[in-house]
Amino acid sequence: MSASVTLPARSGAQPALARPSRAPEEKGKWWRFALLIVLTALTLIPIAVVIGLSLQPSAASTTTDPITLENFATVLTETSVLVWLRNSLVVTLATVLVSVLVAAPAGYVLSRGRGRVVSGYSLLLFVIQSLPVIVSVVPLFILFAGFGLSDSLFGITLVYVGSTIAVATWMMAAYIDSIPIALEEAAWIDGASVFGGFVRIILRNSLPGILSTAIFAFLLAWNDYLVALVFLRSELSFTLPVGVQSFVQQNMTDWGSIMAVSVIMMIPPILLFATLNRYFSVGGIGGSLAGR
Amino acid sequence: MATSTLPPRTRARTKPTGRAPGPAGDLRRPRRRITPMNLTLVLFVVPSVLLLLLLNAYPLGFGLNQSVRDGSLLDDGQFVGLANYTDALTSTAFWEAARFTLIFTVVGVFGSWIVGLGLALLLRTRTPARGLFKVLLLLPWVVPIVVSSTAWNWLVATPSSPVPQLFDALGWGTPLFLADPTLAAITVCIFKVWVSFPFMMMMSASALASVDPVVYEAARMDGASPRQQFTQITLPLVARSTYISWILMTIFCVNDFPTIYLLTGGGPVNATTSLVVLAYRSVFQNFETGSGVAIAFLMTAVLVAVSVVLYRQIRKVDTA
Repeated sequence: MSASVTLPARSGAQPALARPSRAPEEKGKWWRFALLIVLTALTLIPIAVVIGLSLQPSAASTTTDPITLENFATVLTETSVLVWLRNSLVVTLATVLVSVLVAAPAGYVLSRGRGRVVSGYSLLLFVIQSLPVIVSVVPLFILFAGFGLSDSLFGITLVYVGSTIAVATWMMAAYIDSIPIALEEAAWIDGASVFGGFVRIILRNSLPGILSTAIFAFLLAWNDYLVALVFLRSELSFTLPVGVQSFVQQNMTDWGSIMAVSVIMMIPPILLFATLNRYFSVGGIGGSLAGR
Repeated sequence: MATSTLPPRTRARTKPTGRAPGPAGDLRRPRRRITPMNLTLVLFVVPSVLLLLLLNAYPLGFGLNQSVRDGSLLDDGQFVGLANYTDALTSTAFWEAARFTLIFTVVGVFGSWIVGLGLALLLRTRTPARGLFKVLLLLPWVVPIVVSSTAWNWLVATPSSPVPQLFDALGWGTPLFLADPTLAAITVCIFKVWVSFPFMMMMSASALASVDPVVYEAARMDGASPRQQFTQITLPLVARSTYISWILMTIFCVNDFPTIYLLTGGGPVNATTSLVVLAYRSVFQNFETGSGVAIAFLMTAVLVAVSVVLYRQIRKVDTA
C-alpha cells in the first residue's frame, strides 16, 4: 500500500511506475503466505497420494526399503502400459499438430477479417463449442465403423481435432489481435503476398499464442476419457485413459501398481506445464469469444 | 456484429495485396469479384470449415435424425416422431438427472469461481515463491481425471479410507462418501470444484492483471476501504471476464462426463447421474440411441439458452 506513496517526489509525475506486478496491498503479508501454503498443501493431497502410494512396496513384496520402484518395474513388464503410452503420445501429438495448423490460419481470418461472414463463422464456433461431445461421438462412431476407423487411433485423433478446433481458433485469434496490423501492411508494401505476410509476420511473432493453443490441445487429447472409451475396443489400441481405467478395474486393491501407471500417465502433462506454463493463458479465450 | 466499429481493420479486406498497392479507386469502390486477398483468406478457413462440417455439422444432422427414430448403434430403426423427446420429458429418470445436473453446474461454476478468484487475489500480492504456487495450484486441472478420480477414490471410498478414518477420529462417525446418495452428490460436486478452480484462477488472474493499479491509488486517496475497493472497483472491472468464465464453466459442467462417471459411475441409485451420464447409458448400455441423443439435445437446448442469457449480460456490461 505504501510502496508508491513513498516513491521519491521526482517520480511523482509517473504514477504508472506502480506496475501491475506490484502489490496493491502489502499489509498482512505473512498470513497471506501462510494461507497460501495451507491451501496449496490441501489441494495437492490427492496428487501426493498418487506419488506416495506408487513408491510404497506392495503386500507381496520382499523388499525392506520404505520406498521402492518395484511397482513401476511390475507394471512396465507385466502390462501394456508402454503401448498405451506410445498410443497416447501419437494421438496427442497428431492432435496438437493438426489443431495448430488448422487453427492458426482460421484464427488469422477471425482476427483480421470483418463482416457478416466472419461474425457468422465466429458464432458457428460458439455453438459447436456448446454441443456436448456425446452428440457427435455416437454418429461419428457409426460413421467411422463403416470405414473401419472405429477402433483406430486415426479415428479418435480426428474426433479430438474436431473438439479442439473452436477453442484453438479463438486462442489463435486472441493472440493475433495483439499483433499490430501495421507490421503486415509494411510487409505487403515490401511486396509480400497475404500468405507471405501471414507466415513471416504472424507466425513468427505468435510463438506464445501457438504454444498456448498447443498446450490446450495437448491437455484435451491427453486427458480425454469419453471418446477413447467409446471408440477403442482392443487392448493394444488403448490410449492411457482407457488403459489405466481398465487396469484399475482389474486390480482393485493393488494400489501400488495402480498408482504407478497413474504416475506414468500424469508425468507428461505436468512436465509440459512446469516448463511452458508462462506461455499458457486462457484469458484470451473470453476476449475473442465475446469480442466479436 | 462489429462491421463498422473498427475502420483500420476493414482496410485489410478491401486492400488488394501489397504487391501492387491499388489506386485510391480500389478503396472507394470495393469490387465484387474475389481479390487475391480474399481468396487467400478463404483458403485459410477451408480446412477448418471442412473439418467442422465433417466432425461437427454432419454428426449434428445425423443425431437429429436419430433422435426421431428408435434405432440402436447397429440399426437405423423406424421413424417414431417426437416419441423419444416426450418419453424423456415424462420420465422421472430424466428429471432427476436434470436436477443433479443443475446442482452440479451451479456448485461447479460458483464454487470454482469463488475459490479461483480468492486464490487469484491471494497470488496478486507479492509473496515468496509466487511462481511455484501458481504452477502447483494448476495441477488439479492438469492431472488427468482418470488419475485424480483414482486418488479421490482411495481417499474417501471405503470406511477404512483416510478421510472417513479422520472423521471417525474426530468423533463424527465413518461417513460413506460414495455410498450414501446425498454424500455422494456432495463429494462429486467438491471433486468438480477441485478439478475446475485452477481454470477460474487463470481467468481471474488475467482479468485482475488488466486492471490499472492507478485506479486503486485513486480509490485509496478518496478513502475507500479494502472491502469497498473490492466490491466497487475490482468486481465491476472484471465483470465482463467473470460472465465469460461463467459461460465457459457452465458449458464445461453441463457437458462433463468423466468427473462424474469415473468417481461414482452415476450411482449410488442414480444419485449422481447427470444428463450426459444418462445419455451415455441410454446409448451404450441400453442400446437406445434415439432416446440417448434426444436427452443430449434437450440438454443442449437449455445450455444454449443459458449461454445466450449470460452473453446478453456481457453486452450490457459493455454498453454500461
